Order: sequence, then C-alpha cells, then structure tokens
Amino acid sequence: MMMTIEPASFIPIYEQIKTEIKSRISLGALRPNEQLPSIRDLAGELVVNPNTVARAYRDLEQEGFITTRKGKACFVAGDSTALIGREKQRLLGEVFKRAIGEAGKYGFSDEEMQQAFEESLKANRGKNRGEGK
Amino acid sequence: MTEILKIKALGKSFGRRRVFSDLSLSLEAGRVYGLLGRNGEGKTTLIRILLGVIPADQGEVFYKGRKVGFDSASHKQEIGYIPEDSFFFGGMRVGELLNFNAAFYRSWDGRRAAELLKRFSLDPRARIRTLSRGMKLQLEMAVALAAKPEFLILDDPTSGLDVPTRYDFLENIVRELADAGTTVFFATHLVHELERIVEHVFILDGGRLVVDKDYHLLKDSTRRLRLSFESPPPEKLGLGGVLSERRDGRRVELVVYPWSEEAQAGAQRLSPLHMEIEPVSLEDIFRSFVAG
Repeated sequence: MMMTIEPASFIPIYEQIKTEIKSRISLGALRPNEQLPSIRDLAGELVVNPNTVARAYRDLEQEGFITTRKGKACFVAGDSTALIGREKQRLLGEVFKRAIGEAGKYGFSDEEMQQAFEESLKANRGKNRGEGK
Repeated sequence: MTEILKIKALGKSFGRRRVFSDLSLSLEAGRVYGLLGRNGEGKTTLIRILLGVIPADQGEVFYKGRKVGFDSASHKQEIGYIPEDSFFFGGMRVGELLNFNAAFYRSWDGRRAAELLKRFSLDPRARIRTLSRGMKLQLEMAVALAAKPEFLILDDPTSGLDVPTRYDFLENIVRELADAGTTVFFATHLVHELERIVEHVFILDGGRLVVDKDYHLLKDSTRRLRLSFESPPPEKLGLGGVLSERRDGRRVELVVYPWSEEAQAGAQRLSPLHMEIEPVSLEDIFRSFVAG
C-alpha cells in the first residue's frame, strides 16, 4: 500500500497510518471486505515499528473500520460505508478547523475569513471549468 | 512485561576522566530503546560494559535476572551486536566467516544465514575486503541475525552510510522485530530515523541519563514556546522547566519540559503580545536537552 509517513511530525505515526487507511476507504481505493497488508509487510514497507502498525489496526478495529478474521488477517469492514460518511464529515470539519486556526494567527476576523473562503470557492470553480475544456 | 536487562548504579572512568556514574536503567523484553548522546558521552562504553567486553568500575548488570559481568559468556549467546565499524578479517570469505561464527552460537541457524546472504545479495565466495561499507553492514547483520538473538544491540551502525542503505538496514530490523519480537537497544545520532521505530528514549549527557522516558510521553510533555513582547522581556522569565532559550530583542523562543497547564498559565502571566505553542521533534528535544 503506497503511503507516506512523516516520523518527526507531531501527529503520532499510528495516527498517520489510521488517517491514511480511512482516507483510502472513503475514496474507494480500499473496498469493503478487501484484505489489508499484514502488520509485518506494512511495517517493512513504511519502515516503522510493527507495534505501531498493530496499534493502528487495533484502533481501526475498535472504531469498526476493519475486522480481524482467520486469526490474524485484517479486512476492511463490510459495513464501513455509514461510518465512512461520518468520518468524511469529521475530516472536513478538521480541515476547516485547521484553516481557521492558521488564519486566526494572522488576526483575521470571522467576516474576513468567510469572504476569503467564498472567493477561494469561486476561484476553484473557475479553475475546474478551465481544466474541463 | 518481562524485564530483560537491568543496570544498577553503573560507574566508569578512564584514568581521571569519568564517563558516567550512578547510571541505572531497565529494559523490557520486546521493545525498541533508543540511546542518544553527543559523541564522547559514553554510549559505546556503556554498550561494551553490557556486552562484558570491558569491566565497570562500580555497579551491576543483570540479564534476565542473572548477574553478568566482565568476561561473562552465557548472555552473549543471546545477544546480537552490530558495531559502528566491523572487525572482520579482510582475507576471509563471506561463507567462511559465517561458518566461523556458527561455532560460537548454540542457536545458530544455518538455513537462516543462507537466506540472509541471499536477501542481501552477498556472494559467499567473496573476500570480505572487497565488500563496500554497506555490504559489510549487511554481513554484520547476517552474522547477528543468524544466531537468532533475543536482544539486539546496535552501536550507531548506519553512520556514514547513504540514505537508501540506512533505510534498507532499518527495514531489515523492522522485519526482525515483526518475526521474532526481538528487544532492540539502538545507540545512534541519526535521530530522524530512530523516530520511525523507537518506543522508549534514553538521553545520556554529562555522565548521567537526563531522559529515561516513553517516546510518546516525551513528545507529549515537551513544547516549543514562541513569545513576543511589547518591550524586551526581563533577563529572568521565572518559568520552570526551560531546556533551552533563544532571544532576539522582543522575541523569545523556549523549549519547555515538562509541559503542563501550569507552565502555560505561567507563560500567560508574562503577558506576551503573542504566544505560539508547538510540538517538538525528537531531534530538537535531543538538542535542547544536551545544549550548553
């Protein structure tokens, strides 16, 4: 599984792995009932401690995104769709929370942020139309 | 959790130079420990004492509850050791070296040795002196891992190697961890790479352990604080736990450990115009602890 980990980040490695797997599930790159790489293989590929991968898998299982079957193998949960809907909503909330926090550092008001957001949306629509040609 | 190694009140001097004194630590089986310290702080000396290669002046070392000392042989059966520089006889062939080492270890696995050579693309007929540094490290690793060690000691083995070779090395250590649950004690100054696998951090400075802490707890309890004031702040800020401090006129940058709500309230009481609180990488934590 192609994935990039930033070990020095303030986000713990197991959190980074969880986020990557959730985003793959929500984008459909990992489908319900699809098998995940083994802890050994993913740890080897990412060059991180296998205990860290095990922790990420354990958390994802507790949250209901994946299931463990046949002893050790992990699979994407068959009923992960509803969970993913909520997860996407949560991720969207986080994206804006981060952006608002950053903008707050420069002292912008709510009105200024809202205006900038709408302008960015408009610019993005224009860009997409341009690319569609 | 089972304790695999314990050190009690260890002291060592070379002539008049004291390397460390009253050094104590404990390692649990199956975890990855990182040992950080500037050059000359005694990382290699500590490792040589653990291995029983040199004697300590004071203190005791216990391996799985049994006291081991200078010249003890039994615990070496279970310990794999990968040093910074290899001590191989250059005239030997790769295969000869493996046969030579096989005789020393009860747990030596010949099939595993052959597999490792194949994985590393090492030719058993090659003379050791013709190998590159990266290949010599792989040979060190093959020798250490073929004996199926329960405890692996790495003394900065990847320094001076290029980035891809260092990652190949780490990847093999990761696979070993996954397959065998080996305990790892890793002395290094390549902190960024250590951060991929480490679970517990030791920092050796000025002859004592200034950090002996779970990696996540260490990161969670260290913060960088950027403060800016209306006018240059007083010489003494009166904040506790300041590891390092940099000043530039009205701005101050601090690394604080242990970080807490009280520490934050203390900073707030200085009434800065602006305050930023950031997490700190292990590399910066290391630098802050050994600064000055």
